Amino acid sequence: MTGDPVELALRCYPRWWRDRYADEIRSVVGDLTEDGRPRWAVTLNLLRGALRARTGAVGMPPVYDLWCTRTRVALAAATLPWVLMGPLVLMVIGGQRLHSSAGRIFPGQLSITGGSNQLVMGRGLLTPAPPLTLAGSVAWYANVAMVVLFLLTLFVLFAGWTGFAGAIKRSAVPHRRRLSLLAWAPALSVLADFVLTVVQDVLMPHAWRTSGGRPPVPIGGHLAVAHALGTALVVVALAGWLVSIVCAAVAAKRADISPLDLRFGKSVALVVATLLLLTLAAYTTWGIGLLVQSGQAVHGRFTTISYSHQDLWPLVVVGLLLAATMSAFGASAARRSWRVVSLGP
Amino acid sequence: MASKRLGRTQDPTILVLTSLSGGPKHGYAVIKDIEEMSGVSFGPGTLYGVLARLEEEGMVEPLPAVGHRRPYRITAQGATVLRERLETNVKVATIGFGRLGTLGA
Repeated sequence: MTGDPVELALRCYPRWWRDRYADEIRSVVGDLTEDGRPRWAVTLNLLRGALRARTGAVGMPPVYDLWCTRTRVALAAATLPWVLMGPLVLMVIGGQRLHSSAGRIFPGQLSITGGSNQLVMGRGLLTPAPPLTLAGSVAWYANVAMVVLFLLTLFVLFAGWTGFAGAIKRSAVPHRRRLSLLAWAPALSVLADFVLTVVQDVLMPHAWRTSGGRPPVPIGGHLAVAHALGTALVVVALAGWLVSIVCAAVAAKRADISPLDLRFGKSVALVVATLLLLTLAAYTTWGIGLLVQSGQAVHGRFTTISYSHQDLWPLVVVGLLLAATMSAFGASAARRSWRVVSLGP
Repeated sequence: MASKRLGRTQDPTILVLTSLSGGPKHGYAVIKDIEEMSGVSFGPGTLYGVLARLEEEGMVEPLPAVGHRRPYRITAQGATVLRERLETNVKVATIGFGRLGTLGA
């Protein structure tokens, strides 16, 4: 493999395309370069062509196994972007804090399930906190929407995973049992997260004592241990997530999954791509809401929201945009591939 | 700017078929022919995307390769499609020129 950008661009084409056209294209590129055509322009054109060849599969030989492989790759392209970006989005919208010029707010976070019963500590008295600005409310609703979309996508992927694990069990490949174990990695990871969350919740104080003008004091529980478990939860969740991706990818690559199960995957891919697009919309709205709220807050007494990692917003928007585009391409390719695969070998 | 954009919207299928209607050509020859004919510069990624589609639809066919260069030729079906498309274009062009003439008078 050389470092020539043209060669690298050619490697972006599917193998069947390279087998058929690579030599011809190299010869054309040589002639064009001699003519004075910039090599970077040719490379960009080839990259565009590679994207089209991968998504459109125009000219792809009607070989059943080739189309099955294409469907699997398309399914991975549709679902993996969410698997990589979903947790990142959740991390960025975590660490919420409420602020008001009237004083410190209790509790410092809005509850998704409860109403807005925030109190503000000012002049030694706890009084109802001022309302959110309009932009702040929009950001908050976008935040709730993202959490709902995250859970929905997780549910859809879970449904897809059960089909995937079942398909491995039914397949006739060697080392089927070992592949099944690998396929179970996501479930074990989620189970570990769930157990840690429950233990952390049990150890958290469930009552707070307020007296005079002092901040509330926790009653019972083990706050320090609960906080330590919270940190452990983040590490376990992150490591489990990454290990799950690798295990599922290895299992998917080695298992010869039947076309019927690929059809199920096609529906999962379409839904995941759609939910990722909606997440992109909600995330963009969230960031804009946060930017606008400070301008609105100067015109009166309002509560404003901030997030620990909100500075990452522009970077994550770009990442989400790329992920949503790739996912949409993958879902569209999976749909088209399935039409060919469904005709049978 | 607007005229440049209009120039870029020329159908690559028509351009490739028109080029091959003059006789079999390999990739580089098609690119040069289209450039001289219409001023449109095709890249190899675009050209082979169009050739693959036309080959799949039976409008062009590859001939035995000469070294690394493989010539392509238009099929009878391709010639029919090209004729129909060009007739439509000529009809639109005739009406367009006529109306421009009326506007100019």
